Amino acid sequence: MASIELVDLTKHYRQGKTVVRAVEGVSLEIGAGEFVSVVGRSGSGKTTMLDLIGLLLRPTSGTVLIDGQDVGRLGDDRRADVRSQRIGFIFQEFNLLPALNVVENVMLPLRYAKARTKDGRTRTLELLESVGLEDRARHRPDELSGGQQQRVAIARALVNRPTVVLGDEPTGSVDTQTSKELVGLMRWLNREEGVTFVIVTHDLELAGHADRVIRLSDGRVVGDEPIRHAA
Amino acid sequence: MEILRNLARRKLRSTLTILGIVIGIFALTTMGAMSEHFNVLFNFAEEWYSSSIPVGSPDGQAPLLPLSKIGEIQKVDGVAAAFPGYSFGMKPGEVTTVSFGIPDTIVAYDPREAPYQAFKRSIAQGKDLTATSRGEVVLGTSVANEFKKRVGDRIDMPVRPRDARPNFVNHSFTVVGILNSAGTAPDSFAYISVADAQMLFKDVLPVTVRGSIDTTMTEGITVYGKPGTSVADLDHIADQINQQVPEVKAIRPSDLVRSYRSGGATFTAITTAAAVLALVIGGLSVVNTMIMAVIERYREIGLKKAVGAHTVRVLREYLMEATLIGFLGGAIGYVLGVLLTNLLNVAGRSSNLELFLVTPKLTAIALAFALALGAVAGLIPAFRAARLDPVLALRTTN
Repeated sequence: MASIELVDLTKHYRQGKTVVRAVEGVSLEIGAGEFVSVVGRSGSGKTTMLDLIGLLLRPTSGTVLIDGQDVGRLGDDRRADVRSQRIGFIFQEFNLLPALNVVENVMLPLRYAKARTKDGRTRTLELLESVGLEDRARHRPDELSGGQQQRVAIARALVNRPTVVLGDEPTGSVDTQTSKELVGLMRWLNREEGVTFVIVTHDLELAGHADRVIRLSDGRVVGDEPIRHAA
Repeated sequence: MEILRNLARRKLRSTLTILGIVIGIFALTTMGAMSEHFNVLFNFAEEWYSSSIPVGSPDGQAPLLPLSKIGEIQKVDGVAAAFPGYSFGMKPGEVTTVSFGIPDTIVAYDPREAPYQAFKRSIAQGKDLTATSRGEVVLGTSVANEFKKRVGDRIDMPVRPRDARPNFVNHSFTVVGILNSAGTAPDSFAYISVADAQMLFKDVLPVTVRGSIDTTMTEGITVYGKPGTSVADLDHIADQINQQVPEVKAIRPSDLVRSYRSGGATFTAITTAAAVLALVIGGLSVVNTMIMAVIERYREIGLKKAVGAHTVRVLREYLMEATLIGFLGGAIGYVLGVLLTNLLNVAGRSSNLELFLVTPKLTAIALAFALALGAVAGLIPAFRAARLDPVLALRTTN
C-alpha cells in the first residue's frame, strides 16, 4: 500500500480577480519508506502540494490518501488528529517555540496527541541522541546554531512516530556544510525509522540524495524519476 | 510554565499590563473594604431600627421627654415594652469635623430590654450588667482597646477634657465585662445602668437649668412590639402612638430602614464604579497585550495547529494566558489593597476611625473579578489565535 496517494489533485485560489491554479490535476503515489524530493521553480506549486499532503490546505478537487485513508475532506479537528498521528513537519525557518527548551520543543506534538504515549520522554531523549543533541536538552532555541535548531525540528517531526515526514526547504536557512549534515541525518532517520520523507527543495545536493525526484511546473507533474545511488 | 515564560519574555509589557489590573483591583479592594465597613454599619442600623420605634420630642423641641410618657406609650395597642434612652459622648469637647466612624458613646442599658432587641450582645470577658448595677460598665471592644481596659479595671467617664470647666464632673466605673466584637456600633459603646445614666444626664445639663429639670426626664424612648413584629406592624404602632400620646414624635421604622438602605446603596454604587474603572483600565490593557502576543506568535500558533492542536486547544491556551495575567494583577492588587486598608485601620484606631473591612465576600469578589477580567479581555485575541489559518500563520514573517 502506498504511504501517500494523490488522485487528480487540484488546488485553485483567488488572488484579486485572478484564479491561481497552484496545483493542477496531480496524481502520484509515494511508497512507504521512500525518500522523495519535489523540485521546481518558484510558483510551480511545490509548497501548495506539500500543504495539501500535510492537510494544512483543502483541495479544490481530487483525493489525498494517507496510508490508504481518504483524508482530504475531513473536518478541521479530524485533520488535526491525522497530522498529529501520522505526519511530521520540518520547516525552512525551524519554527521552534522560543519559550520552550529543546526537550519541550521536541515533545510539543505529544501535548496535542489524542493517544498520549507513555514513553514520550524516553522517545524524545532517544531522538535527541539520534540527532546528536543529547547534551543540549535544556538549552533554549536562541542558544543553538541554525543547524542545531533544524536538528531539534527533525526530532520534533519524528516524536509521534509518524508514517510521513514533510519538509519544506529544510536546508534553506543553513550553510552548505550544515545542509550536507542535515541531508545525511534525514536519510539515516528515513532508513532507521522506516518513515516516508517528502522534501520540497531548491537544493540540488539534497534532491540528489533522494530515492526519487518529482518535478513540478505550473502545478503539474512534469517529471518523476528514480535516482540510482552507488551501492 | 510556558505561559509564565512567555510573560517573562516581554517583561516590560507584561509588567505594565499586570500593573493596569493591579491598579483596578487595588481600587476595587480599598473602595470595597470601605463599602463593606459601611454596609455592616448600615445593616446593623437597619436591623436595629426594624425591631424598634424611636420616640422623641415633637419636631422643633429640645430632646427631653418626661418619663411618665413611657406609661402612656405602653397603653397603645401592640406596644410590648418601652424603655428610656440616654446616651452621652465619651469624650466631651472633642473636636470632630467630618467623621466616618461612630464616636465613643456612653449608653444606658436595661437588661430587661435584651429580649426585645434584634441585635444580641455577647460577653467576651466578665459579666453583663444587672437591673441593680451601679458604678459598673460593660465596654465594647474598640473602647476597651482604645482605653486599654480589662475586666476589673476602673475607668473615669466621661473623659475629662484638657480644658475642662471647673465644675466638670465625671465618675469612676468598674469594668465588669467586655463585649465580643460586633464589627459595628456596639464596639464603640460603654454600657451603664439606667440609674447611672440618669446621674450622668443630670451632670450634663447646663448649671442654669439643672435645678429646674429633674431626672424624671429622658432624651428619648425606645418602643418595642412583641419579638418578631413586622416593620409594617411597627409602622402602624408608631402611627398609633403619634395619634394617642400627645407631645411625642414616634418615627416609623420603615422610614429609617429606607434611609439606611439608601446610604448602603450609595456605597455599593461607589464600589461598582471602582469595579468599572478596573474593567476599563485593566481590561483594555489585557486586550492590547494579548492581541500583540497573538500577532507576535502567528508562526507559533501555525506550528501548534500543524502538529495537531485543535482550535479549542489554542483558544484555551491563550485564554489561560490572559486569565493568568488577570490573576497575577488581581492577587497583587488585592494584597496591596489589604495592606493599605490594614495600615489605615491601625493608624485610625486611636481615633476610633477604622474605615475598612475586608470580608471573605470582598476577597472572593476581587479575585473572581480579576480572573473574569483577564478571561473576558482575552476572549477576542484568543478567538483570533484559534481561528488562524495554519498555512498563512506559518508563512508569516515576524
